[in-house]
Amino acid sequence: MLVVDSLGKRYGRRWIFRQISFSVSIGDRLAILGHNGSGKSTLLKSLAGLIPPTEGTIKLDGDSRISLGYAALEMALYPQLSVAEHLQLSADLRGVPARTDELLKRVNLEYAADYLASALSTGMKARLKLAMAIQPEPKVLLLDEPGASLDEAGRTLVQEIAEEQASRGALIVATNEPQERRLATHELVLAE
Amino acid sequence: MNSSWRSEIFAVFRKEVMTELRSRSGLTTGALFAFVTVVTIALATYNQRIEKNLAAALVWNAIMFSSILSLPRTFIGEEEAGTGDLLRLMARPHAVFWGKSLFNVVQALLTGIVLSVMFIIFTNIKLTVPWLYAVSLVFGCISLAGAVTICGALVCRANNRYALAAAVAVPILLPLISLGITGVRIGIGPFETDASFLGGVRAGYGLIGYAIATLVIGPPLYAAVWKS
Repeated sequence: MLVVDSLGKRYGRRWIFRQISFSVSIGDRLAILGHNGSGKSTLLKSLAGLIPPTEGTIKLDGDSRISLGYAALEMALYPQLSVAEHLQLSADLRGVPARTDELLKRVNLEYAADYLASALSTGMKARLKLAMAIQPEPKVLLLDEPGASLDEAGRTLVQEIAEEQASRGALIVATNEPQERRLATHELVLAE
Repeated sequence: MNSSWRSEIFAVFRKEVMTELRSRSGLTTGALFAFVTVVTIALATYNQRIEKNLAAALVWNAIMFSSILSLPRTFIGEEEAGTGDLLRLMARPHAVFWGKSLFNVVQALLTGIVLSVMFIIFTNIKLTVPWLYAVSLVFGCISLAGAVTICGALVCRANNRYALAAAVAVPILLPLISLGITGVRIGIGPFETDASFLGGVRAGYGLIGYAIATLVIGPPLYAAVWKS
């Protein structure tokens, strides 16, 4: 489903990570662990295709726009677009059904469908990004510190989404949270 | 073009229209610049007839700068706001380029037509060959939108993007401006010889070719820098 071979990323002369190899398939839930600055987010961005790796290869089954879901705290939204418009844009670009009502209900944001992204709290933005990430029912779901801006109910939601994902594909989560770590079936620790 | 591509391109176009209508940043800046330029020229040349060479240069100067102020925002603004990643996750580079180009073409045409009509009214210019003036204006604006979109797309991920945009834009825009001025100058007239008229027609053809070239070359160029 997703095969990573000898992956490395370097900024200037400093290697962020190097020689990372693993593969995930249906049912796998991989936690990427490491201290701040160890390269967890950079690795996830590389897997999502947002950062080109310096060395190594990433092989993913199918079209990455549909096979891959990605949500991260630092990912920006369009301030002038509403919650529902974000989901419609995402669906039109990926060529999948929008399922706006269903997804907003899933992430408990149905009351905010018409809110502009600029009016959302950090937690509400995180829920919208989760909804966009699971919209195409991806084979691989990448979550970068998913519970960082969420309340208790939000963290429970992340757990439920992780369990749902295990039935249709793989989950890779970058985290240091013990609660999120427990979601994983495997762990990858990035050392300095 | 299959329905998947069409749907992607129109999704990008619709997103650009919605964000622009709600923020009004590009349109307001461009329209304000165009309005101030035309009014300034009209006041400075009150009761005088503007010579055709000067008129053509002034028209293109105003169109070019009002477009340069607003058009590159489609790509550069995306990276500055951090939303570029969202598009890279969900869309294909060709669709993004075409969607943004379509929006820029509409914006450039609106600016060019409104500015041109205002210029003609305020300065009391009479057109000798209106169709040549119109062809030069329409295809000049499409070319300008295409060229500026390419510049924005190429430099949007660079650190010093504004300085780089200007450096990239000059060699790309100079031939376009030259053709545009020739077409508009002959369109305003009067022209002295048939050779002058033919020169204007050739400039019109040149602008049509330029417009096609920018919109064909742009997508593969943008795809090359898409995930770099």
